Amino acid sequence: MFANTLFLASACLTIGGAIAVVYSKNLMHACIYLLASLFGVAGLYTCIGADFLAATQLVVYAGGVVILMLFAIMLTGGTSNKVNRFGLEKIPAMGNKKTFFIASFAAVVSAMIIVKILIPVLKQNPSSALSPNEPTVERLGTLLATDHILAFEISSVLLLGALVGAAVISRPRKEIHD
Amino acid sequence: MNSTVVSYFSQSNEFQNVTNWLTQILGFNASSLVAFIIFAVFSLIIVGAMATIGGLGTYAERKISADLQARIGPNRVGPFGILQFLADGVKMILKEDIVTTNADRFTFNLAPVLCLVGVFATLAVVPYSSGFMLADLNVGIFYLVGMASLVGVGVFLGGYASNSKWSMLGGMRGASQIISYEIPATLSIIAIVLLAGGLSMKTLIDGQGGAPQDWYIFHNPFAFMGFFVYFISALAETNRAPFDLPEAESELVSGYHTEYTGMKFGLFALAEYIEVFVVCGVAVALFLGGYKVPFDLGSGQILVEKLGLDGMLAQNIGQFLELGSFFTKTLLLYYVVIWVRWTLPRLRVDQLMTLCWKYLTPIALVNLIGCAVWMYAFNGKSIFALIFHAAGSAGGH
Amino acid sequence: MSTLNLDVYMPIVILIALALLVAGGSLFLGSLIRPQHPNKLKETAYECGEEPVGSAWANFNVRFYVVALIFIIFDVESALMFPVAAVFKKFNEIGLGGTLLMSILTFVSVLVAGIVYCWKKGDLDWVKSFNQTNQPTIAKKD
Repeated sequence: MFANTLFLASACLTIGGAIAVVYSKNLMHACIYLLASLFGVAGLYTCIGADFLAATQLVVYAGGVVILMLFAIMLTGGTSNKVNRFGLEKIPAMGNKKTFFIASFAAVVSAMIIVKILIPVLKQNPSSALSPNEPTVERLGTLLATDHILAFEISSVLLLGALVGAAVISRPRKEIHD
Repeated sequence: MNSTVVSYFSQSNEFQNVTNWLTQILGFNASSLVAFIIFAVFSLIIVGAMATIGGLGTYAERKISADLQARIGPNRVGPFGILQFLADGVKMILKEDIVTTNADRFTFNLAPVLCLVGVFATLAVVPYSSGFMLADLNVGIFYLVGMASLVGVGVFLGGYASNSKWSMLGGMRGASQIISYEIPATLSIIAIVLLAGGLSMKTLIDGQGGAPQDWYIFHNPFAFMGFFVYFISALAETNRAPFDLPEAESELVSGYHTEYTGMKFGLFALAEYIEVFVVCGVAVALFLGGYKVPFDLGSGQILVEKLGLDGMLAQNIGQFLELGSFFTKTLLLYYVVIWVRWTLPRLRVDQLMTLCWKYLTPIALVNLIGCAVWMYAFNGKSIFALIFHAAGSAGGH
Repeated sequence: MSTLNLDVYMPIVILIALALLVAGGSLFLGSLIRPQHPNKLKETAYECGEEPVGSAWANFNVRFYVVALIFIIFDVESALMFPVAAVFKKFNEIGLGGTLLMSILTFVSVLVAGIVYCWKKGDLDWVKSFNQTNQPTIAKKD
């Protein structure tokens, strides 16, 4: 009963938020709708018992990425003027009939392909992997510390690369003497 | 469903009877329904209590600041002015609601609500006592970190939506400060998770004892430093002085809530004061023994043995002792937070960022490594256990 | 959907609903009784009594963005550290603490290298000082 309610609410939040992101013409509002959508995804993770993944979704996406996006929007001067200094519109015209038609056609085709892939997967005993409220944290930790230790260590190198990259990108450029 | 308020009640016979009775009447398994009702009632109680604590927090803030500055403070409404917060609440509801012309109306209305949602959602995992916890999630502390970061989004959006320069500056500063200080706070939390071996609040507290030498703050020198790193970061995360740059009245008028009037401002203030309580509660749970009572009085076993009380009654008394222990420590920390605010001058922005990235984050990393090495080297024993052990073996020879 | 017992998440949903209720309720209650006399001056943004100049939504300094980027990297790092930290005690008890300690040390030290790099290059400075060697050299136009 509650599980179904939670699932429906999360699914509505995810889909509704995603649609609102696409339809919103204000970048800031789109970002807020994206936050709602990400929250919905966290709820969906909760529904399948992946509690650690849901919390990670909250910490990394709802807390981190959304703030980064808000800062990025402010970096470009917010949404005060829709036209940049060259007189071009910042948000390109993507909301006309032609694009909507093409997008919905593409969505239908890709949905069919996904359903085609998913059906055989779903037929194989879906609940075998789940057991009631098993703490996923310890299982994840054990796996990260034993089987996937290499992935764990390599991810730190990946993060190092991202850190250095972020620092280098934001540094003021040197102008070259000629 | 371990160790939440519902599982506590499910120990009694009445709970089983009511559940069975409802199941018979309604024709489906009613345990979920009963759980829902209990959760709803206790959530209401918690929210009511927290709103009162938040309100009393504003009163305490004014009264303590008055004491520190040799003034009298609020003294008109009720005895010692203690009902001042009710008067303030009524005033805020009655105030006119002003939205500036150029403001982004949707975001403007949403921002305080977002702050409040983020703070209220964290209340679910705060461990008030061993039986009185709304949700003992397996990812408890990590969930709390995630939900608390929603406040940063709320603060930023509040500053952005007002379309006022002061608000915008305050919002930017607030958001960057909140996210920056989340790093040392999270790293200190990870160090304690290393010691406790679990993320749920129950696990974190069960590793500690009632007496101070069993607390994690005195477990080893690194955890001791970690407490201060966490506490400083928590002050900054809740925008409390000396880190109240987002609302620095001498430079930014009132920061991100400059344009907010009436109840919308009230919601921001309520969220802030409840968040202070939550971070103090987390500091208590992680470092200061949580709800544990000395001599294991909380479980009620001693009461049963020595005084011959009924098992359930003794357990209830134990619960109240635990609640008292938790709230005493948390409110003491709350007092320290207010005390700090009226003692220390405000930092500059560059000092704020230097403190976070060049002092607290490296120290927190060292603490993390130190705790891990300590765990490995001394097999998880605390420094007091080592000293007692050494003293015992020395006395034996 | 029946194999999982999700009742433990009930209070979170209830509390979020309560937060919306408290916020909405108090604002709605206020709207019934509070005065409403808007005028143009009252609704201008506060700028110390002067008439506001332009919009507040200006381009912001890039350093806020850098802070957010570094924050996300540490956020992901903590998300990876939490489960490993949670099992450290158990591993220590069965005698595998040393290996796990080594892997945690490696993980953290790689990140420390990143922090040290950023520190040395001056990316952690809020106010960039002007007497460092890595500062941009402004090209002289002859």
